[in-house]
Amino acid sequence: MAAGMVIDPDTDLVVRVGKGDRAAAQALMARHLPAMLALARRMLSGQAEAEDCVQEAFLKVWTHAARWQPGKAKFETWLYRVTLNQCYDRLRKRPAEPLEAAADVPDSADAPDRGLEVADLSKEVGAALQALPERQRAAVVLCHFQERGNAEAAELLGISVEALESLLARGRRTLRMKLSHLRADD
Amino acid sequence: MINQNGVMMMSEMDDKIFAEKLMKTLPTMAVPSALEARILADFDRLAARRQGGLMHFVEGWAERLWPGAPLWQPASVLALSLVIGLMAGVFVPSFNSASTTVTNSDQTLVADSTSVMDLYKDL
Repeated sequence: MAAGMVIDPDTDLVVRVGKGDRAAAQALMARHLPAMLALARRMLSGQAEAEDCVQEAFLKVWTHAARWQPGKAKFETWLYRVTLNQCYDRLRKRPAEPLEAAADVPDSADAPDRGLEVADLSKEVGAALQALPERQRAAVVLCHFQERGNAEAAELLGISVEALESLLARGRRTLRMKLSHLRADD
Repeated sequence: MINQNGVMMMSEMDDKIFAEKLMKTLPTMAVPSALEARILADFDRLAARRQGGLMHFVEGWAERLWPGAPLWQPASVLALSLVIGLMAGVFVPSFNSASTTVTNSDQTLVADSTSVMDLYKDL
């Protein structure tokens, strides 16, 4: 193998997709769609919007697969960057929400009942996650929700590991401040 | 004894553990089959469009001539052949001996016909 070549488990499928192989397209979709949808869902908060986002991302895959050059970069990295860029585009097109509406988190002093239902809890956590700036949200989702390592998440976001750790630290700190009343249950 | 940096590190570790617990409360989602169908429909539509395209025709012939090679390889060989052919046509001198032979033959024929005419002249 030549120096600088990247080992990519998706190369064969992508090349076959570029030649019009439907089975390869189906396999590629099955491999990546669940994680892509989960990422988009956590970035965008709306199911329909998340589905549109991943559909657009896969449309780019079908369009560009014939020109994919194996060995230069990992396909998964490219795919996730396309998905995140789609998410960022949609987020920037949204009208700015007032801060109070972004995360309707009850004040810890007023919460009478600490035993929240699971659905309410996940809704509250989801709302707090939505209130994070988009890059901090992406970092937290990739590292904590999708359990990717720091180096892998940094590569997907196109930033250094140090920059990723800074985003994570700030995102986690914000979540802790917003959801400190939940923490008291530990 | 925990200094200021130690306290900060402990806080960040606590934040990390807390964030992990929070993320575990978020539900995982199944992929809707309708979404899969839409994505594959996009693939089918693009594949059908390519089937009728000129590029697909060219790629098909390139695959027959040079299986497995990227399109630029047979294309560059054909282009090089064309250039060599054109240069040969321009720079290689044309062979005129055949035409001169024809001219000589023509002259001979004229000379012969003249002698034949001369025979009848005196009649």
